[in-house]
Amino acid sequence: MTKHARLIKEANDQTLRYFTRRHFLMDCVKGLGAAAFTSFLASCGSSGKTLLDVAGNPMAPRVPQFPARAKSVIYLHMAGAPSQLELFDYKPALQKLHNQLCPPSLLEGKKFAFIRGVPKMLGPQAVFAQHGESRAWISDHLPHFATMADDVSFLKAVQTDQFNHGPAQLLMQTGSARLGRPSIGSWVTYGLGSENDNLPGFVVLTSGGKTPDAGKSVWGSGFLPSVYQGVQCRTKGEPVLYLTDPEGMSRDLRRESINAINEINKQEYATFGDPETLSRISQYELAYKMQISVPEVMNINKEPDYIHEMYGTQPGKESFANNCLLARKLVEKGVRFVQLYDWGWDSHGTDENLAIDYGFRNKCREIDRPITALLQDLKQRGLLDETLVIWGGEFGRTPMQENRDGKDMPFLGRDHHVEAFTMWMAGAGIKKGFSYGETDEIGYAAVKGKVAINDIHATILQQLGFDHEKLTFQFQGRPFRLTDTGGKVITPILS
Amino acid sequence: MRLLISTGSWSMFIGRSHPLLVHLPIGILIIAFILTLLARREKWRHLRSALPTVLLAAALSAIFSCITGYLLSLDGGYEEKLLQTHKYLGIGVAVISILLYLLERNHQRFPRLQLPAALLMVLLLSAAGHYGGSLTHGDDYLTQAMPAPLKKLSGIQGPVNTVAYTNIGDARLYEDLVQPVLANRCYGCHNEQKLKGGLRLESIALIRKGGEHGPVLKDSLPEESELFKRLLLPEEDEHRMPPKGKPSVTPQELELLHWWIATGAPAGKTVKELDKTPRIMAVLEGMQPATPLDKQEFVPDESVSAGSADKIAALEAKGLKVMPVGTGSHYLMIDGINAAGFSDRDISLLTGLKEQLIWVDLSGTAITDSAFAVLGQLKKLTRLDLRRTAIKGNGMGALNNCRELRYLNLAGTAVTPEGFLALQQNKKLQQVYVYEAGIAPATLRQLQQALPKLKIDTGGYRLQQLASDTMIYHKVSS
Repeated sequence: MTKHARLIKEANDQTLRYFTRRHFLMDCVKGLGAAAFTSFLASCGSSGKTLLDVAGNPMAPRVPQFPARAKSVIYLHMAGAPSQLELFDYKPALQKLHNQLCPPSLLEGKKFAFIRGVPKMLGPQAVFAQHGESRAWISDHLPHFATMADDVSFLKAVQTDQFNHGPAQLLMQTGSARLGRPSIGSWVTYGLGSENDNLPGFVVLTSGGKTPDAGKSVWGSGFLPSVYQGVQCRTKGEPVLYLTDPEGMSRDLRRESINAINEINKQEYATFGDPETLSRISQYELAYKMQISVPEVMNINKEPDYIHEMYGTQPGKESFANNCLLARKLVEKGVRFVQLYDWGWDSHGTDENLAIDYGFRNKCREIDRPITALLQDLKQRGLLDETLVIWGGEFGRTPMQENRDGKDMPFLGRDHHVEAFTMWMAGAGIKKGFSYGETDEIGYAAVKGKVAINDIHATILQQLGFDHEKLTFQFQGRPFRLTDTGGKVITPILS
Repeated sequence: MRLLISTGSWSMFIGRSHPLLVHLPIGILIIAFILTLLARREKWRHLRSALPTVLLAAALSAIFSCITGYLLSLDGGYEEKLLQTHKYLGIGVAVISILLYLLERNHQRFPRLQLPAALLMVLLLSAAGHYGGSLTHGDDYLTQAMPAPLKKLSGIQGPVNTVAYTNIGDARLYEDLVQPVLANRCYGCHNEQKLKGGLRLESIALIRKGGEHGPVLKDSLPEESELFKRLLLPEEDEHRMPPKGKPSVTPQELELLHWWIATGAPAGKTVKELDKTPRIMAVLEGMQPATPLDKQEFVPDESVSAGSADKIAALEAKGLKVMPVGTGSHYLMIDGINAAGFSDRDISLLTGLKEQLIWVDLSGTAITDSAFAVLGQLKKLTRLDLRRTAIKGNGMGALNNCRELRYLNLAGTAVTPEGFLALQQNKKLQQVYVYEAGIAPATLRQLQQALPKLKIDTGGYRLQQLASDTMIYHKVSS
């Protein structure tokens, strides 16, 4: 084509562009594409942007979606998973099958963490009785808690799909068995902020000598800004590590240096707008205030003797009892979410400490008084009315006796069980003296009132004034929520 | 709460202009149609010269309507089938407008095609408009508003009644549960006018009468009653009811009909009076009208005007947290957790929000008895927390004006018997906490007698010392 011809073709094309519908339609398509593209671009933006609206303080208290029943939550997690069959789920029929071989129907197509071959059935290793007006079955392992039967709602048919501790704890605490999701406490503080300006909104206390198998991710903030992660407080030594001023640094000097750091951070934020910078500013501020407020609230020495006697606390020790008393103190001070982990409930029967007939009973004794005292103490202060208390493990335990590697165990033990286990909730608009859900006659499978882990999450959020489907965070181009794609509020247990 | 609202996007924004834009092609096309008709007469021939411009405008606006409509549909939330119909009709309108424009420009070549094309356009336009309206307003938008005589004339039956019970046990089986099913699924054809199969179903008597093929109801035997049997037939079966293409009866409704016939098709009987099978129990459980999850008795049902932002700011300046109890509510809660210094000097600031304040937590603040005069003005107050304050109860009688007060926390205060007994007039009070308030048992009894339903929690719980508390379980080594 000559240069001349090309010019003419170009001119013709140009004319056509003005007149023909083909070009017109083509332009329309481009316009449509552009419109779609801008929406695509918008979703790629920095996700935390919406947080900036909260007057610069990500922990400022916020309005729930509807009037809440609960102001605070105390979650008592028994890490390792206690046996429901020795505590709340009374199965006389299982006693009759004690020491008999497990029928194949219970084993076909099932997977267990440790049980191999054909195990024997293990009858309940506790004496059960009905308690309170609600006639709730509670074993003699929890004689004090039995007096609280008419204050709690039992969930007898909770189900999970993870039979190893780590993933199951993650699922229970973050709604996903894989790492990277925010924990319940993070979601709650993200949604509601915290009331007390001088204390963290989400406090974690551990006992039993170990942290949960899943590690600190169970109180992590996942993709939420890190200001919402749980703050672990210790009952021995410094309550929060590295909180005291180093030698030679006065409190005034510390104030000055924090002011300077925050000033630089503010400039940084003005330039880049990264919400993590805001997190950092508020964390410096909070840490400074916590130097005074945390040692004060974490000090249980000033509590009267009868309170110590009630909880069975021994100041200066790391114990579940101390943590229960601290939980009450923290909630009283307006902390939004207090998470307790107590390790040592993994009763496989591998040694005496992990034996259903020895170590397990000792663990029960360790929690019986403190939990009862916590409920009563909250009650007498008028706080149980606005504090949601949750108790449970990450799964349950099998009605079969564990036979690790197909061999008899030195002690009585039960394997991990996902199909049915018991949890309970109390306070803050939860029915008193109620039981929801049933298992079959040997406590193997849930038959009625099944509850999934995200149903529990939905219920917690509900009591705090949130529709679990609407508490979301935009991440990787889609809104995420604690209950992921499931979750149904357990309305039968709501009063 | 801004934090939780999903962000918008360009496509959504442009899409939402569809309901606005869409009326342009409608109007322009109707004008074009009128012009086309008029221009056929000699007298109005000169109008023809306007047609190309009008039709071009119509075609352009129709195309833009299609694009915005498509973007809007990405938003979701529309009934798929209806949406598809509307979409294709809308595209059809755009295509035919372009066609009309091109025909007009080549008028000499296809003079005979113009009128049929214009008529087709009007048909498409009406249909697209109709389905568009159904999409946004629902397909019974117009018929619902129809006056009764007109409704009767066109054979439309509205739903007999909506949920008329608050407890499923009190619902009347036929009147409240079965009749609405029949009304929604059957009345359309089996009524006075239509009388399909000679059958009417609007009352028990008419049901018992049956149709031209005999009775439809066999007492207590649902499996042998045509009224039930036919519902179970496969959709292709010509005897099946409701016939193919009509919405079928849901499994839940099937169970209800089955139960009603099985219990002898009673009238006026309530659910709790009748024998229940486990199956129907499960269905009934699901029909219990839920109390709305976002309602609670600590928040008044009636709404209130918004509190003054200045008054809220004034309180917040004193360190109190003042917030709505829920998003969209104007009722306020106060939290004094960070305001230990809040005192009687500032308490009068509360009066500015006396209509809105319903939950007031002043625990641990520096207020004293003079606060009662102000607290007594908060007419809507339902929760009041005065834990660990220096109140003694002088002037506590002012709280009698807080008629809605349900929760009162006096734990750790030194409230006097006189102040405490002044609560006798607070008839709605449900819980009072007096832990460590040192109130004598006689005084407690007196208030309890006056308000028998009130729960007074004196606290001071003690746990028994049990032998098992200190027992450590060990394997006895032999």
